[in-house]
Amino acid sequence: MSLIDGIGPEAAPRARPAVASVKDLRVHFRSKVGVVHAVDGVSFDIGDGETLGLVGETGCGKSVTARSFLDLVPMPPGIKAGGAIEFRPHHTCPSCDGAGCETCDDSGRQAEPCDSCNGGGCEGCGHTGQRTIDLLEISEKDLQTIRGNRIAMIFQDPGKALNPALPIGEQVAEVFFQHRADDLLADAGASDGTEALGGALIQRKAGLKTSRIEDFLLSLPPLRGQRTKLMAAVQTRVAEALAETQIPNPRKVMDRYPHELSGGMRQRVMIAQAIACDPDLLIADEPTTALDVTVQARILELIRDLQQRHRTSVLYISHDLSLVKEVCDRVAVMYAGRIVESAATSSIFTDPHHPYTQGLLAAIPSANHERGRLVAIPGNVPELIDPPAACRFAGRCPYEAPACTAHDPLATTITANHEVACFIHHAPAGDEERPTWDRKVR
Amino acid sequence: MTAPANTVVRTGRDGDDLLVAVRDLKKHFPIREGALQKVVGHIKAVDGVSFDIRRGETVGLVGESGCGKTTLGRVVSGLTEPTDGGVYFGLGGEERRKLDTLLEVQSPDRTDEQSEALSALDANHRVDVMVGDAFDHYRRNCQVVFQESFASLNPRQLIKDIVGRPLRVHREASGSDLTERVVELLEQVGLGRQHLFRYPHQFSGGQRQRISIARALALDPELVILDEPTSALDVSVQAQILNLLHELQQERNLAYLFITHDLSVVRHMADRIVVMYVGKVAEAGPTQTIFERPEHPYTDALLASSPDMKESAQDLQALEGAIPDPALPPQGCRFHTRCPVATPACGWEVDDIVRWLEDEEGMFDELRDVERKSPFEAALSFRSEDAANRLAAALRSDAVPDAMRSAIEDLNTTGTDTRIRFTAVDEVQLTLRSEDHVAACVLNRGTSTEPS
Repeated sequence: MSLIDGIGPEAAPRARPAVASVKDLRVHFRSKVGVVHAVDGVSFDIGDGETLGLVGETGCGKSVTARSFLDLVPMPPGIKAGGAIEFRPHHTCPSCDGAGCETCDDSGRQAEPCDSCNGGGCEGCGHTGQRTIDLLEISEKDLQTIRGNRIAMIFQDPGKALNPALPIGEQVAEVFFQHRADDLLADAGASDGTEALGGALIQRKAGLKTSRIEDFLLSLPPLRGQRTKLMAAVQTRVAEALAETQIPNPRKVMDRYPHELSGGMRQRVMIAQAIACDPDLLIADEPTTALDVTVQARILELIRDLQQRHRTSVLYISHDLSLVKEVCDRVAVMYAGRIVESAATSSIFTDPHHPYTQGLLAAIPSANHERGRLVAIPGNVPELIDPPAACRFAGRCPYEAPACTAHDPLATTITANHEVACFIHHAPAGDEERPTWDRKVR
Repeated sequence: MTAPANTVVRTGRDGDDLLVAVRDLKKHFPIREGALQKVVGHIKAVDGVSFDIRRGETVGLVGESGCGKTTLGRVVSGLTEPTDGGVYFGLGGEERRKLDTLLEVQSPDRTDEQSEALSALDANHRVDVMVGDAFDHYRRNCQVVFQESFASLNPRQLIKDIVGRPLRVHREASGSDLTERVVELLEQVGLGRQHLFRYPHQFSGGQRQRISIARALALDPELVILDEPTSALDVSVQAQILNLLHELQQERNLAYLFITHDLSVVRHMADRIVVMYVGKVAEAGPTQTIFERPEHPYTDALLASSPDMKESAQDLQALEGAIPDPALPPQGCRFHTRCPVATPACGWEVDDIVRWLEDEEGMFDELRDVERKSPFEAALSFRSEDAANRLAAALRSDAVPDAMRSAIEDLNTTGTDTRIRFTAVDEVQLTLRSEDHVAACVLNRGTSTEPS
């Protein structure tokens, strides 16, 4: 069934189940010339508190994979062609408040128990005893309670992802209104809802559900006091969230519009928005590509620091191998809609097993390369329209052999926690000649 | 402002292989405001830059976005007129020496004879004033490859027309001869005859960049300006393009001005590197020297924040603060606002205090007025005495950088006003650190010769 099950608990027994597992995910796109298999059988686990890097070239399907988590792929033209994304929501450990104790295995987080077996372990939760949600199956309404709350996303270009017409403070406040309405009401001291009309209205206001007339009623003297308290409560939370990302003088920044801030500051606002609800999983889709190297270094430091303090799991998407090396615990290399290799960061960089990974690493210019002697991968990424059952890298691979075009290599465990999809490392189904390291075709 | 001759990045060898000489180049963009579009200030994108490009070498131009490197590239390529200073093309060794002697004299002090000699040189060699054959010669020999290959290729033209255009404009070829020349060019960059009748959108990013390169090479130029040619490309495609550029340089003895923010690329490609910061050269020298023995703290910071520069997985060294506003560049050394090793002599000024107040909770709203006598001396008036005292206390404590505190000559608070005077300093000039290596920093690391 699943291709990379081995990374999970089976291969290296891990005390705690992964916070999210992608299983044989397939996302296709309908186009005029055929169906594009943008993501074609991707499987991986994101461990609790782990940073997983997803690297690959433009068009390899890494962003589509990430967006599938939150149903952000437009359908149509997108097609959910199969697979599952299992997500296990957590909350801060109540006995230690995130500091790490015996009950939560020093992770500071606790998984919610499964609804049907209440922690005993059943078919529905994959015998983990934890509440497991298939993000591809649940309704839009249910997904809204997860999106921005349990799973948050940081986008590549903060200039495009922030609303240019709203001040920063209002945009960050939306997250609290959407997911933390009860807390806001408690902060404002209006949770009991004693006054029939006022209580109901202020509750609607906290959920951003008021109509214009209701807004008008709230601006009148008897209810105005409560509204002011509610707004003050939101402002405090927003300021705290912004301060968390080391934005100086957050109260001032809240009144500014996105265009008044620098790229680095905008990205900090995005991060503040994303971590406002203390999510279990943070998806960072090339968060520093639009930034300068000096700013990039600071944003990376910030993400790493926040991850360590909040013990959030991070899915870090990038085309830049050297960045991934800095921030990730584990790396999965994608090529043409597939994961070709995945392993711990150190072993990917010191001991790459897939010819594509080797090619990518060799293409990075460094002082060791003589000028004009960069090892470029010849050819182009193949069209993903109705691809044949063959290795996607065949045609560009220096070690190609007949087996590569006849069979589809499956990801196989080479050493503990190191998976490769290449016939150099495991035998194909048929008896065709296999590629070897000794024979270089190109 | 003086333009000392030692700001020139001198060649170690004899200057006869000189191709382009950039001398005290300035490009200021006016800021207009109001209904009448009155000019209220200038963005100093390039503010006094001098360097040489020799035949067959690659000069790397690096810096953060907004430091003026693209503007500099555009001025060198003649697409933008400079505000002051000049780009000189095709000077002989003798002429170069003559030019430098003439430029050492400030324009009001020049004799008639000197002015005449200078305008004669300008007419033949200065890019923004040359006309006729000289300009024609320059246009043929200086070509540009832009960052956005999609935006720089006309989407409504066939590849044949795009690559053939320079040949047609300069009446080099026509008819079937033109087609053959285009095919030849395409083959040189790894494309072929089958691509002649296609439109730019039918190509991938790497292929489009190859087409841009083919077009730039059509007239067999001596200088190609590469403005971030690979930053929109994937690493494997980038490797292909960099190899191609190197091959072409070997074949044709091309000179490259390679503009990029990617240090690993520039280290791989460039013979010499010019590091720019807020419109000025911070450091310039041979690639190896810059990477192994950087003299400027900004170069240090760039190297430290680039993840591929390091072998071990130590922490990234992040740089504090944002790049300053190029309309009001900082006094003294422009980097002092972010510099981790700043000294009292680096040009601390009133604006540094204002910037500090902006980041301080509740302080900026208390500030009512800043009355400046000079960039280094001002009276700040606050709404309350408390705020004035808080500022004075902060300036005497650890809340501000040590160097800033030591640079304060005079500080006194009367009522709601705080008067501050810093030590006035001149702009930091480039000084020679070792052969062919200059840096603009008040510190000298002592790894090389004394400043000249």
